Amino acid sequence: MKTVVFQIGAKKTTGKVQKIKDTLWVHLNGETFTFGPERAEKKRSSPSTKITGIILAPMPGKITKVDCNVGNSVGVGNVLISMEAMKMEYSLKADKTGKIKFVGCKLGDQVALGQKLVEIE
Amino acid sequence: MKEFQRIAIANRGEVAVRIIRACQELGIQTVLLHSEPDSQSLAHRLSDHQVCIGSAPPNESYLNIQNNIRGAQAGGAQAVHPGFGFLSENAEFALACREANLTFIGPDAGAIKLFGDKIEAKKIAEEMKIKTVPGYKGDNQDINFLIEQCEKMGYPVLVKATAGGGGRGLKVIQSKADVREKIESAKREANSSFGSDKVFLEKYLDRAKHIEVQVFGDALGKIHILCERECTVQRRHQKIIEEAPSASLTEKERQILCELARKIAEKGAYKNAGTIEFLFQDGDFYFIEMNTRLQVEHAVTELILNLDLVKAQILTAQGMPLNWSRTELSARGHAIECRIYAEDSYSQGMPSTGRLGDMELPNGPGRRFEFGFETGDTITHYYDPMIGKIIVWDENRPQCIKKAIEVLSQTVIFGVKTNIPFLKAILAHPDFVSTTMTTQFIGKYFPNGLEQKSLTNDQRKFAAFAYDHCTLAHSNDQIVLPNPWRQDWRV
Repeated sequence: MKTVVFQIGAKKTTGKVQKIKDTLWVHLNGETFTFGPERAEKKRSSPSTKITGIILAPMPGKITKVDCNVGNSVGVGNVLISMEAMKMEYSLKADKTGKIKFVGCKLGDQVALGQKLVEIE
Repeated sequence: MKEFQRIAIANRGEVAVRIIRACQELGIQTVLLHSEPDSQSLAHRLSDHQVCIGSAPPNESYLNIQNNIRGAQAGGAQAVHPGFGFLSENAEFALACREANLTFIGPDAGAIKLFGDKIEAKKIAEEMKIKTVPGYKGDNQDINFLIEQCEKMGYPVLVKATAGGGGRGLKVIQSKADVREKIESAKREANSSFGSDKVFLEKYLDRAKHIEVQVFGDALGKIHILCERECTVQRRHQKIIEEAPSASLTEKERQILCELARKIAEKGAYKNAGTIEFLFQDGDFYFIEMNTRLQVEHAVTELILNLDLVKAQILTAQGMPLNWSRTELSARGHAIECRIYAEDSYSQGMPSTGRLGDMELPNGPGRRFEFGFETGDTITHYYDPMIGKIIVWDENRPQCIKKAIEVLSQTVIFGVKTNIPFLKAILAHPDFVSTTMTTQFIGKYFPNGLEQKSLTNDQRKFAAFAYDHCTLAHSNDQIVLPNPWRQDWRV
């Protein structure tokens, strides 16, 4: 960790930083944030709430229930997959109405972060 | 009276470190019973001896009774401290310890059995004319039958793992639409966390406070009532912020509460540390459960009473007296605990795993940092996301809140995202400050955690300069950046 003193005119700002891989971790005025020139920008311009019909694993974990099959019709909010990670169970729900086009996991599978689990047409 | 030379610790993370340090103060050696990935952990480094008891999944290590027993024996321990979670409330484990000639540091198996089964515990309370929350607590686990019971009670209804503690295997059913899915999901969580899918149902009190009493039965059979704690701020039934004493009670209500707790603890001739939990709504206390173990939030009690519960547990297990005098047991000031979770405050509390970077924990009077990890350690998805807790003490509640916010602001944790911004938002919320919060607090004000926000211009500017300069620095840890305006202007 390094202390960085930043002077803007007469105003002095002190923060702590550490570079981990390509990302700079910054602690400034009581807040911690990350900064990585390109990645940080990209992340902020595409919020995760966009409707895509593609359900990705939001974290690494284990599939505990699969509630959909290819060809099923589903509505917004229907639970498609249940998964467990860090001892809590999470339900993954359909974000749009449509037909299931792809199911990429089965009961008991260990899935990776960002792995495509379900696609809705 | 017996004397332990060596204690085995059947746990991990922050609580394992807490127990090791208590043992060190008492001059007792420690044997850490750990899973494969936890051979890289702070507790592993601090303990005197280590025995690997299985692979990463809890069922194959921390929850496996025989592996823990064999590990404790192989490590030459005379006693086992179970910490909290995992096997801490498992009567079978306490029995297996006894059979293996190991002292289980906690109440005896009989008391765990009596209170550990939540259904039985509620029956005992009802027999003593103590109010409990209406619900179905029977053996019929047929899903359709359970749904029928929910309909009868009226929504919202809680579904809980019979064997569980904490927030695992616990769900709120809001309406008929999600009743089946919620019960099935609670059963699965219960099964994978506790090895039993038995659940019970309970009418959900929707404007209650969670208030609990710390009790302690010493080696001479005396029950000490060690004040109450309030843990009303919960998310998905997992506590986030706890405080002692509760600011929601009048002196008279506090006395009533402590008497209820005393009655229950004395009924079971309770030994060692335990917590009796109540919901408090419209002036009434409803008994919910008794936890027959040390709790995560024991530290707030320690700070207002100035005592050490883990050391007291170990002394009591050895049959030694505590010498707690009445004056030592009078509370002073106010304490608040914040649980630090590895999660992203800005994306609905999604767990954040990975390697911990540098940390700075700003020490000072009345500031206590309990961490189970240090720089370079990996936070894995196999276990609870709690990496530590920060507990602060001050003369009164308003000062304590201010101090907690300040300490959280000064705390630096790099490498994984934490819930520190979320904790600060809770502590600053008017409902929390005025003590009017209920267990609905998070759901009502922070259903999705905190709103995403982008970096301010100052943050961006600072980061951009630091990004280019931080790799250039050599031995000097402080880098003074030039006036940025001039640089901007030059470009």
